[in-house]
Amino acid sequence: MTTQTTAPKTPSAPTAGTAKGLIGIPAPLGRALATGGGVLTIVATFLAWTWTSAFPGDLTVYGYPGGLQILVLIGGALVTLLGLASYGVTPLAWLAPAGADAALKFATLATFATTWYTIIAISAQLGGVVNLEPGAYLAAAVTLAAFLGALALPFERPAPDPFDPDDTGWERFEHTTSQKWQTVKAAFSADSPRPVRTLPAWADILIIVAALAVALTVFTYGIGTEYDELFVGFLIIAGFGFTALHRSGLIIQISQITARHQSVTVFGAFLAAALFPFTQTDDQYATIGVYILIFATVALGLNIVVGLAGLLDLGYVAFLGVGAYAASLVSGSPSSPFDVHFPFWAAVLVGAAASLVFGVLIGAPTLRLRGDYLAIVTLGFGEIFRITANNLDGTSGPDLTNGSNGIAGIPDLEILGFDFGTQHDIAGFTIGRFANYFFLMLLITAVVVLVFRRSGDSRIGRAWVAIREDETAALAMGINGFRVKLIAFAVGASLAGLAGTVQAHVTYTVTPEQYLFAGTTPPNSAFLLAAVVLGGMGTIGGPLLGAALLFLIPNKLQFLGDYQLLAFGLALVLLMRFRPEGLIPNRRRQLEFHEEAEAPTVLGKTGA
Amino acid sequence: MNELPQQLVNGLLLGSMYGLVAIGYTMVYGIVQLINFAHGEIFMTGAFGALTVYVYILPDGTSMFLALPLMLIGAMIVAVTVAVGAERFAYRPLRGAPRLAPLITAIGLSLALQQAVWAWYPEAKSARTFPQIDGGPFHLGDVTLQTGDIFLFIAAPLSMAVLAYFVMKTRTGRGMQATAQDPDTAKLMGVNTDRIIVIAFALGAVFAAVGAVAYGFKYGQIDFRMGFILGLKAFTAAVLGGIGNIYGAMIGGIVLGIAETLATAYIADIPGLDQFGSQSWADVWAFILLILVLLLRPQGLLGERVADRA
Repeated sequence: MTTQTTAPKTPSAPTAGTAKGLIGIPAPLGRALATGGGVLTIVATFLAWTWTSAFPGDLTVYGYPGGLQILVLIGGALVTLLGLASYGVTPLAWLAPAGADAALKFATLATFATTWYTIIAISAQLGGVVNLEPGAYLAAAVTLAAFLGALALPFERPAPDPFDPDDTGWERFEHTTSQKWQTVKAAFSADSPRPVRTLPAWADILIIVAALAVALTVFTYGIGTEYDELFVGFLIIAGFGFTALHRSGLIIQISQITARHQSVTVFGAFLAAALFPFTQTDDQYATIGVYILIFATVALGLNIVVGLAGLLDLGYVAFLGVGAYAASLVSGSPSSPFDVHFPFWAAVLVGAAASLVFGVLIGAPTLRLRGDYLAIVTLGFGEIFRITANNLDGTSGPDLTNGSNGIAGIPDLEILGFDFGTQHDIAGFTIGRFANYFFLMLLITAVVVLVFRRSGDSRIGRAWVAIREDETAALAMGINGFRVKLIAFAVGASLAGLAGTVQAHVTYTVTPEQYLFAGTTPPNSAFLLAAVVLGGMGTIGGPLLGAALLFLIPNKLQFLGDYQLLAFGLALVLLMRFRPEGLIPNRRRQLEFHEEAEAPTVLGKTGA
Repeated sequence: MNELPQQLVNGLLLGSMYGLVAIGYTMVYGIVQLINFAHGEIFMTGAFGALTVYVYILPDGTSMFLALPLMLIGAMIVAVTVAVGAERFAYRPLRGAPRLAPLITAIGLSLALQQAVWAWYPEAKSARTFPQIDGGPFHLGDVTLQTGDIFLFIAAPLSMAVLAYFVMKTRTGRGMQATAQDPDTAKLMGVNTDRIIVIAFALGAVFAAVGAVAYGFKYGQIDFRMGFILGLKAFTAAVLGGIGNIYGAMIGGIVLGIAETLATAYIADIPGLDQFGSQSWADVWAFILLILVLLLRPQGLLGERVADRA
């Protein structure tokens, strides 16, 4: 092998700092293309895209948009507004406190992707592009033009990084690829926004209310999407649209405002969630709502264990199962061997206490050891719980859980004379069975959020974080590691048990097969962990968002079917590789994962 | 007839299989302090590799004496490819990341592997029958040996001897020991640690493949889920023997196998526990054994070779 002595030629990339677009269209033309494309996109959504109503959503009408066109319309409006803001139109400056260029790129990408997805879906489903009407061609052309125009907008290029002359061909290839990827990333990144002006408190609260109203609308729309294509379109536009607003700095400003009024925000968020059943006309989507809440609450409980204390619990769903079984055994169900019917508050205590006992039994021997043991022991416990529940059927073991048939016929709850099993009319709205449970579950969620916030900010919560970050250092600082970890584990277990008691009543039946390590229906241990990781460890919003997404995606996208778990497993691997901090990153965690890249700027920020 | 020798032999056989898989866990753990949760699935893909060779590559009616080595090679090729691929594309980029990251990656990987086999391997949605070695059972006094067990009886000690020779005598093996003791110093001494890590993964996969073929002969059928519980047990065996210690893995496996067999055979005789003796409780007893070991002797039977640096 010969050693290369001459300095390798760096590719003729523009030097750092020069403002130049990703593609070679002059920037003013690009800006005009993007903004004009936005306007024309809006126009195109009012035209017919296909001639037959065989494609769902009725895209055949001239004069008003329908189905996926509405989503494209929203995208087009966003592009137009951001485009105008990037020209410096003063009344729109609030929209883009961090500059509109990067946001414009994402907005045009959102519109482009949704439109082209629609058109490809129409062509594929109806058999060929002959099914498209001129409106579709117009939409396709203008969204592409807008996207290309936005790509031409200038941005700061990263400094080129020369090769190591000793690199092999493969290493060199990797190097150039990562270099190019850095450039693309820089093209889509934005500066931090200007600080929020101090507004009067009522104005802040008004903004929070507006943001929550938007969030509720988006969420309700997502739950209510009736066919696969619309849900995919919704995910595309919501995902890229949110990123666009994040890049424009608007989301950051709103989160700064919410940080000023935390209690108002939390209260408002619960109020918004409580309004959800009132937006529905029947119980169909309230069912989805209550399952999402159960899933999200358990994920939030897991987040205390995994996100705050850094203990990997792979059998968390078993604690949910312990709570559910405990509650069902004392619920007066005919298949329960105990002939008792506890009131709900007592059942809740029994469920939470049973989970607590198991949490301590599992935690005490393992938490003294390295964290990896906990992972495997909890994984084993999750499996053993299921096997045991299967065996305690009277033939292969004592009769307790009725084996694989589970405990069936769990009666509906009745609290203070309020029967959860029947419909109620509240102020002209009909509230069905699942909506009743939705409210109860929301209360449990509130309890878990409260526990999470209060304990997270307390002395013990800070001890958890310290242990997670560096156990040796934390021990040296006088933290009783074992005790603190056991508390985290036990608290997490009893919160799951709490959620389990409600779950037992919602589903009528408790069977061992509901509590798998990995199955197609959440909650199960793998999905719970994924919800926490996807959403963002150590945050409240993260697991809630992650759980909603992970519940809705399999629920809405029936075509994924058999490949759902496969896609899920791969997604987990890719997520850890490329965005380990999740969708809503905890600030401290984000630093931890991107140490070398972001540390200096952040130090500067905290200093300011 | 005295049942005990038969139960002991059964336990020994079961335990050797656990031990073969446990080596993969313990070796990877000893070198990179990573629990490769996907190892159970590597074992599973190995079994399907062997099945592929027998059913789809070899002509029908090939003699077992010819087919067996080829099946073993097929199993090893598949398992090693999967393991090395996982190391290269999933674990290596995460080196130096916080502890949780590779664990979560491993879970995702293990799910993806299971589902990939389920979705794409022909007729793998239910259990597939594994070829059997002809010949009746052998009787040695009170002990009956099935033909399928003979393979395990020969392969397990042989593999162990080969591994011991490799780790103790070869240059690469000593490089592995050095990396396990102190990766940074080993690197300074000219050990290519990246290569050593890949070799650890590959070696683990080779033994898992042997275990997988043994599993197929022993139970007569394989399915896409076989790696999950077996992986869990094998990890238990590795902890039992002292994780990071390759002899411990084998001994831990044997102890676990014998304990499990004896538990299913004799626990029902203990007054008050008569309902807990059936095969369906075997996993529960193995798990309770793990908890007891962690409680009483967390460093394992032989002790950990690698000190806890965290």
